[in-house]
Amino acid sequence: MSEKPTVEEYLKNIEEGMFKAYKCVDCGMVIAPPSGTCYGCGSSKMKWAEVSGKGKLISFTVIHIAPDEFVEEAPYYVAIIELEEGTRVSARLLGFDPLKPEEISLGIDVQLDYEKGKSGNTYLAFKPA
Amino acid sequence: MLLKNTNIVSAAQTKFGALEGVTLREMFSEAVDKATIDAGIPKKDIQAAFIGSFIPEMLVHQGHTAPLLLDFAGLKGLPATRHEAACASGATALRAAVMAIESGIYDTVLVAGVEKMTSVSTSGATEALAAAADDQFESSIGLTFPGVFGIAAVAHMQKYGTTEEDLARVAVKAHKNASTNPLAQFQKEITLEKAMTPRYIAWPLKLFDCSPISDGAAALVVTSNEKAKKYTDLPVKITGTGQASASMNLCDRDDLTSFSASVEASRAAYKMAGLEAKDMDFAVVHDCFTIAEIIASEDIGFFKPGEGAKAVRDGVTALDGDRPINPMGGLKAVGHPVGATGVKQAVVAYRELIGDAGPNQVAEHDTGVVHNFGGTGASCVVTVMRRGDA
Repeated sequence: MSEKPTVEEYLKNIEEGMFKAYKCVDCGMVIAPPSGTCYGCGSSKMKWAEVSGKGKLISFTVIHIAPDEFVEEAPYYVAIIELEEGTRVSARLLGFDPLKPEEISLGIDVQLDYEKGKSGNTYLAFKPA
Repeated sequence: MLLKNTNIVSAAQTKFGALEGVTLREMFSEAVDKATIDAGIPKKDIQAAFIGSFIPEMLVHQGHTAPLLLDFAGLKGLPATRHEAACASGATALRAAVMAIESGIYDTVLVAGVEKMTSVSTSGATEALAAAADDQFESSIGLTFPGVFGIAAVAHMQKYGTTEEDLARVAVKAHKNASTNPLAQFQKEITLEKAMTPRYIAWPLKLFDCSPISDGAAALVVTSNEKAKKYTDLPVKITGTGQASASMNLCDRDDLTSFSASVEASRAAYKMAGLEAKDMDFAVVHDCFTIAEIIASEDIGFFKPGEGAKAVRDGVTALDGDRPINPMGGLKAVGHPVGATGVKQAVVAYRELIGDAGPNQVAEHDTGVVHNFGGTGASCVVTVMRRGDA
């Protein structure tokens, strides 16, 4: 893995179950998904950052009508998660019945996980902590 | 006032819907003829064309569409450029035309929008639409467009107490307004019960919360003060235009209950027009989903954050309400041929402003605002228009 992070390696890390975020070399802001420029200070110098994997649920939906690639997985959750380090990612949400979304409260603690999809891809995912 | 010289002098759209057997170039040509010949404006007066179209490459396997469309519509040879900003393509074309007229480069130009979406399967259209979201970080985990707005709806419901029934009321209003609009895809009223049918697309959004897949085209003739007199006694002045962008990824937004590009574009447009939201008699907003209309009505300043749903509930945004929104039926019931939508919205505002909206006429119609929104909210264009004699 190169010292200077790339989008390709970011996606490969997820595929291999080893999620890492970007971190601004100049101000230390943790950023994911990747950005070419720091949202905090505007620097374009980035390095890899390990994350705790702890986060909280910001919002979610349940996809019932899915694109062809994901049809066999529907219905499934897609959620916005705020990591402990402050950045937010889009991910699958595991551990809940997709037909009972009204039982989920926003703000709950979640933990990093991965989901191997029927499409053959591995998705970034979170489960209840 | 910054904008002094831009007028809409004619505006037209084709019928929206599944226009079987009608190709991209044919519907474009129909809209152009309606906005020029039928309005008494000779095509030879047009000096350039600004065309909104989202993704004909994937939908009809056709790139470089601007010259192709112009040739078919009898405008061969003119400078012609396609403008693309997903669902906001049409308004970006209009905005470019405004700048061209104000600069003095042209006197009279065509603004048109077109999309042919039913030539591919529903999944083909869904895939094409998904190209307006971030392919590497969001589409790749199975997030869809209804899903994006489902996430916004959940956030809005949690923060403000908006309900699924509130969303359904937006759909009921849209269908009611479209029932007297012969150019609408759906011209049938629906009951609240029907709008609440639990056929989930992306929870909590159901079938009736979503705009349809549509074909259609719309066109405007935009001209200078001097030339406008030649075509009409009652032009519509464009007095403000604002545009903003935001992150493509929903996860990069701090607030999911509001779209920052809508807030910024509307502020810029009002400021340019020297007006405020309260001065607007009505709004035409981008209701690709019911929740999008509620959030847009707050983002453009018609209602305070969190009060958009109550306004729908109380009938404030109805055709005969104090602040009518989407008086001819919106994207939800009139249809959403993506690249045509922003131009069609301007057609609606034009017709309302000059008092030509028939059974869909709003009572007060001096000034109106048009909100056209792209993709996940990563682009927004807001336009303020005022009747020439107002």
